[in-house]
Amino acid sequence: MLKQNMVSPVGDILKFLSILMLLVITVISQPTFAAVEGEPEGVIMKNPGADLWREVRQRNIAIEGISQIKSVDSGILINPEADRWTRFRVDQLVNYAAIILAGLALLLLVFYLLRGKIKVEGGLSRQMLHRFSDYERVLHWTLAIVFLFLAITGLTLLLGRTFLIPLFGQEFFSLLASSSKEGHNLFGPIFFASLIMMILRFVKRNIYEKGDLTWLVKGGGIIGKSHVSGGFFNMGEKTWYWIVILIGLLISVSGLILVSPNFGQGRVIMELSHIVHVISAIILIAVSFGHMYLGSVGTEGALESMKTGYVDVNWAESHHDRWAKECRDNNRVISADKFNRLQGKINSGTEESGSVAVEGNK
Amino acid sequence: MSERLERGLSKLRSQIDPKVKSFFSSCVHCGICAESCLFFTETRDPRYTPIYKTEPLRKVWQQEYTFWGKLASKLGIAAPIAEQDLADWEELVYDGCSMCGRCSMVCPMGIDIAQIIFKVKTGLSAAGFSPPDLAETTQRAVDIGSPMGVKLPALQAQIGHIEEEINLKIPVDVEGSEYMALLSSMEIMYFPEYISALAKIFHQAGVSWTLCSDAFEATNSGLQIGNTEVAGVLVERIVAGAEKLKVKNVISPECGHAYTAIRWEGPNFIGRPYSFKVVHILELLDELLQSGRLKTTGKESSRLTFHDPCSIVRRGGVETQPRHILNAIAENAVEMTEHGAMNWCCGGGGGVSGNERAEPLKLKVFNRKKSQLEELDVETIVTSCSNCRLVIEDGLEANDMEINIVGLTEMLADHLVVDNSQ
Amino acid sequence: MATFIDGFLWYFALAVFVIGVSGNLVTIILASRKVDLSVPRDSAFSGALRTLFSRFLPDQHMLSRIGIQVVAGYMFHLGLFILLFFAAPHVAFLEENILGFGWTAAPHWLFIVASQFAFLGIIMLWLYRMTNSVSRLISKLDDHVATILTFLVMLSGCLALLESFETLRLLHRFLVELLLIYFPFSRLMHAFTFVPSRLFTGAWFGRRGVDS
Repeated sequence: MLKQNMVSPVGDILKFLSILMLLVITVISQPTFAAVEGEPEGVIMKNPGADLWREVRQRNIAIEGISQIKSVDSGILINPEADRWTRFRVDQLVNYAAIILAGLALLLLVFYLLRGKIKVEGGLSRQMLHRFSDYERVLHWTLAIVFLFLAITGLTLLLGRTFLIPLFGQEFFSLLASSSKEGHNLFGPIFFASLIMMILRFVKRNIYEKGDLTWLVKGGGIIGKSHVSGGFFNMGEKTWYWIVILIGLLISVSGLILVSPNFGQGRVIMELSHIVHVISAIILIAVSFGHMYLGSVGTEGALESMKTGYVDVNWAESHHDRWAKECRDNNRVISADKFNRLQGKINSGTEESGSVAVEGNK
Repeated sequence: MSERLERGLSKLRSQIDPKVKSFFSSCVHCGICAESCLFFTETRDPRYTPIYKTEPLRKVWQQEYTFWGKLASKLGIAAPIAEQDLADWEELVYDGCSMCGRCSMVCPMGIDIAQIIFKVKTGLSAAGFSPPDLAETTQRAVDIGSPMGVKLPALQAQIGHIEEEINLKIPVDVEGSEYMALLSSMEIMYFPEYISALAKIFHQAGVSWTLCSDAFEATNSGLQIGNTEVAGVLVERIVAGAEKLKVKNVISPECGHAYTAIRWEGPNFIGRPYSFKVVHILELLDELLQSGRLKTTGKESSRLTFHDPCSIVRRGGVETQPRHILNAIAENAVEMTEHGAMNWCCGGGGGVSGNERAEPLKLKVFNRKKSQLEELDVETIVTSCSNCRLVIEDGLEANDMEINIVGLTEMLADHLVVDNSQ
Repeated sequence: MATFIDGFLWYFALAVFVIGVSGNLVTIILASRKVDLSVPRDSAFSGALRTLFSRFLPDQHMLSRIGIQVVAGYMFHLGLFILLFFAAPHVAFLEENILGFGWTAAPHWLFIVASQFAFLGIIMLWLYRMTNSVSRLISKLDDHVATILTFLVMLSGCLALLESFETLRLLHRFLVELLLIYFPFSRLMHAFTFVPSRLFTGAWFGRRGVDS
């Protein structure tokens, strides 16, 4: 409390000064830009400061001067790259990101209305196969939760100024933005750690193999109704996996560069990292819409594998026939009754106790 | 509320002491205990999770001792405990738990789960929710004095055969003896070699001992079914016998739960300390060997291992003694990976072996012992509990495994230096 | 609102917490227990002491099957411990408002790393609770409420890291107060009752001569 009271006036003054400076720079540099782009109409009033600022800026690249503050880029008075970066962020990133994400969500809705839930061929058999261990499911949902948190806080930071301020007002948004930033920075490395665990656990099963191409040719069973072939993971899942891993790594590395600016990276690297970070994150969020759709309402029986770890045999047959056959060959199919017992769902009571044990004994 | 439910609930209520409160309030439902329980590891049925078996008592605690529970009961939101709640747990507690106590060794909160499960048993048995077989044996133990219905004449007949065979007198009702030996009905009926081994060993060591015609049965069905009153009656008989014969010590036989009953729980069942000391036969044998009163000759050469009976080792503390004895008479003894206080149960303790309907489950969970034995590739299993011995014999037979199983006391008797002067 | 959260509610929560926890502990520790009449083989006291510490380590043969609970459990608890007692704002708060003395706070980077471990730990533990068939069966509403409440307290604390928004600070403090009030009536009590539980069991095994 005490500390904040002491700090905030200084902070406010600093903020005020920096805003003032930005204003000054913008106002002053405006005519320069106008001059460069050349507007034939109107009278060109030469700003008296323009020459001075052109001198300061010198050329369109950052020039290193000498400063008493010894740190990266401290000798650069003005970084002209930042202008381009700001413009790209405000004019393109924000708008395109919003359009892409909203458009995709709409597309999926339309697709769902047209195609509906993809049913399991032959209906559910109630015979089950074990697919994912506890650790694998915990890992999946950990990554999912952390990813969602980062997506929400990240989008708040990226789009908030444009879309949230009109909704909530500036005061609330400043609070939201500050907490989003703190939360985003904190959870970023957790995403990276989960991603590494994801690589270690699943990489073997996701290497492409013969037969995956057939899946692609047939459009993964989403388009049309033909039977498609797949192993433990099919071509579509493998591709999703590699998108998560590769883009996830790109996001993580660029994010780590941004979150820890004290390893000698200069402004240009930071700007570049930011752009890489945002573009790759938008791609991953966009593709994850598809994953979330297919994993829940889009495909019958798919969510089950991440809830209980078990899947219906017929589901496995439709999406992973080679894996299903392997399971059948190794006698790994379990009855609905046994599945319910493994889930602790059967209140067997005393009479059934005998049958519980006998069945399990086979 | 039915009368039997009322009986069960009031029994459960009486079981809630500071320990139980501490245990239940510290449980974070992590589920680690499941992995320590052979009924879970061999079936993967989550209902066999040790702490889940204590649900009836936990519910009573939750509804009557916790803020939210009391509030919910007052507001009528919480469903009161019904007869079905108790009935549903009978199978879990009696068929699906051998009271081996492994769970109590691994709980990160330090909850003695086995102890709470026993308390649940007292509530269930008071309400009449116990396996018919156990109820019968308990009745028989009270009426006849032996869960298997072994009466004195049967023992006398066995004594007659043994005396003839080994040419040694087996003392019965000798007042003022130093030790009074107890037996389990199983030993009398299936393993009389235990009695002859005692005679040989005590003869060589010069131990003054006796059997008591009024109190030779050491097993305690009251403990297995969870009826502490019956358990007290059965312990009282032994105490009376020991006091009548004015013995200084009572020897608990190899049988596991008998040791718990007479050595550890007995004084609490009858509500007063003993006037005599209780020792386990292995403790006494080890002492006789260490003091040089027993001399052995020759060593078993076959590859063998010792199966630790849960009640004697994990819940009884007799862990080093059997190993001393075994090392004196065997040269190729190996340990199972998890042994001693963390040994895996045979699957038949806590009354499971005396409960006919639990037979298939018992054989299924024997897989745990089976894999432990397969890992070692032994020719012989040595143990010191007649119940473990029978259960393991059943298990080996069901799995077509050819491994000998012997009692440690008999094995020691086979290696005594023969006294030719007799 | 601010005065309510910083004033009355804070003292109320503190009182509920202190009275509730100590009341619970008193009924466990000071209530009369049945004396065990059997002759002990070994010291109950040393057994109790041994078990108090031995249960910090999992059984080595079981480790591979309980890895998630052990690893995530340690990550969460150690992280939370550092957050709770070594976060600079916490140390300052305790010094100014409760204890009157302070100690060296953890450097900022340690705080960040500790909270990341704690977050990863609590998320994984909670997910394990819901995905594993055993813990799903034995978990109660209380377990979930306690987990979510703890998570929200941690999250609100970290979102307020910049220490420049009064609203965020109040939110964090309000959630802490909810947690304090909920604490004595919930599974959170394990933070204290694990000690008597281990002592009871350790003493029981100790007098029977078993290392537990």
